[in-house]
Amino acid sequence: MKLLTHNMLTSHVKGVTKGYPLLIKATEVKVNEVEFNPQFVSRMIPKLEWSALVQAAEEDLPGELVADYETNEEFLKKVHRILLEVEVLEGCLQCPESGREFPISRGIPNMLLNEDEA
Amino acid sequence: GPLIFGAAQMIELLPSSSPSTEIGTTSGDIITVTIGATVPTGFEHTAAEEIKEKIGVDARISKDRGRVFFPITTDKLFQVHLLRSVDNLFVVVEEYHHYQFKESKEETLMELQQLASTLPWTNALEVWKQNGTLKKKKGHRRGGNTAKSKPNCEGVGGSMASTEQQELPQENSAPEGWAGDTQAMETSTQDSDETGHGSKLIKFRVTCNRAGDKHSFSSNEAARDFGGAVQEFFQWKADMTKFDIEVLLNIHNEEVVIGIALTEESLHRRNISHFGPTTLRSTLCYGMLRLCKPQASDIILDPMCGTGAIPLEGAIEFNHSFYVAGDNNDMAVNRTVNNICHIQKRRADKGSMSGLPIDTVQWDLCSLPIRTSSVDIIITDMPFGKRMGSRKKNWDLYPSCLREMARVCRPGSGKAVLLTQDKKCFSKAISRMGGLWRKQHTVWVNVGGLHAGVYLLKRTGSYWRCFNKCK
Repeated sequence: MKLLTHNMLTSHVKGVTKGYPLLIKATEVKVNEVEFNPQFVSRMIPKLEWSALVQAAEEDLPGELVADYETNEEFLKKVHRILLEVEVLEGCLQCPESGREFPISRGIPNMLLNEDEA
Repeated sequence: GPLIFGAAQMIELLPSSSPSTEIGTTSGDIITVTIGATVPTGFEHTAAEEIKEKIGVDARISKDRGRVFFPITTDKLFQVHLLRSVDNLFVVVEEYHHYQFKESKEETLMELQQLASTLPWTNALEVWKQNGTLKKKKGHRRGGNTAKSKPNCEGVGGSMASTEQQELPQENSAPEGWAGDTQAMETSTQDSDETGHGSKLIKFRVTCNRAGDKHSFSSNEAARDFGGAVQEFFQWKADMTKFDIEVLLNIHNEEVVIGIALTEESLHRRNISHFGPTTLRSTLCYGMLRLCKPQASDIILDPMCGTGAIPLEGAIEFNHSFYVAGDNNDMAVNRTVNNICHIQKRRADKGSMSGLPIDTVQWDLCSLPIRTSSVDIIITDMPFGKRMGSRKKNWDLYPSCLREMARVCRPGSGKAVLLTQDKKCFSKAISRMGGLWRKQHTVWVNVGGLHAGVYLLKRTGSYWRCFNKCK
């Protein structure tokens, strides 16, 4: 699971209103080289929930976006790495409200709910 | 069909030939030929677009659906293997647009036999030869078992679209003179491959496709008589399975095209090594992706991805977007990951950056664990009643998933490209959606013999309001 995907995932357990962002509990992480495309990164940033990314990244990403980030290549490369190159292979995602854990195995988060949770 | 060999007579016939065929002198000279390509029916215009984009020439769409033609010079031949929208390629020997068939079957077949010795074979054979060299350079291998597909080497930078084969030529019982030993058969194939350009006996076969109600003959008869004459003329050996040259005889009403195949197996299975029951061919995936015109940073979801054929083709060919492949089925998500890993390993082995902009999630598509309005494009192959699921299930499923897809899709700018055979159910479900989707364009295609529609939908500007929470 890449952090870009994590940025979109929410908990949809019945009754939960604050199911985002999911807490990441990783037991195995991998870094994979992905071709850097600055336009991809700069156009993706406005689509993200930035605070959720900062929280997930555990790196020093600024809490607020810097001005003119579109032309700051060093910054874009950092964001690129966090969004696309870091992968959670094993672990789980935890719903912040209900505590329900969704397992991640082989990089695949299993978001299926049980009968009673749907 | 099986070939029975007849004698050939020499008679001149004047073809209404395509002007682009010129007579080359020696091999090594650059000549212009016409290439024919078979494409998924309905996506002829897509293929023409791609040909214009990658080869820079205007393609002609044949009346015979599923076929396009374009000129190319032999120095640019490798470019044809960059095309992602074509299933099979052949070089045209001759084209007749208004072939006047004789009244009787006997006369017609006789004429076909006579044709064989008069056709301008030279250029086409030269192209076939050069194409064979191209394949060899890139380490293309033939043969192998059909149970598990072995990855073929792919050229660097995508210059050779080699096939991920599942449908390999059947290892039939050994031809006369062989003991039926597999090892020996494979060796003999390689021999004829490497030396099949004149020094050893060339093996060939004729494949005839015939369509139209006014013909007095069958495709088998045409293949048989034409093939016999070809064999007489070239002194090649006929072999149905281990052939070096495949001669194509395509007859569609009054249109007759004779060609030589440039692709052995269809290119349509190129990305997939782990198949599922309904894996879509890559050429169809490519056509669907082109339809939605993925932009840089578009987030593209396939909420019922099966083995991941569509998002994987996207991650390779339209790699400035990001793909999330999802399915509720264990096997499906695992196969998707296997297919992705397979491609990544192939890339890593060539020294390229292996990472692809794609992720896989296991989810229920009627209750997507995705933020509202966060997706730009939804692209998927919806379950057909006949191939998977059932018609009755679709009546419930379609409205639920179309609603959920509308929720996650960005209002105003979002799009969906959905393939389905259940057109009635689909149209009804759309019309009851309270104006969340608008049909923009439909492409009629053929999937595994079934007539299906690829619907391009626009997500209207209406914001999502939670109507009935679907289960």
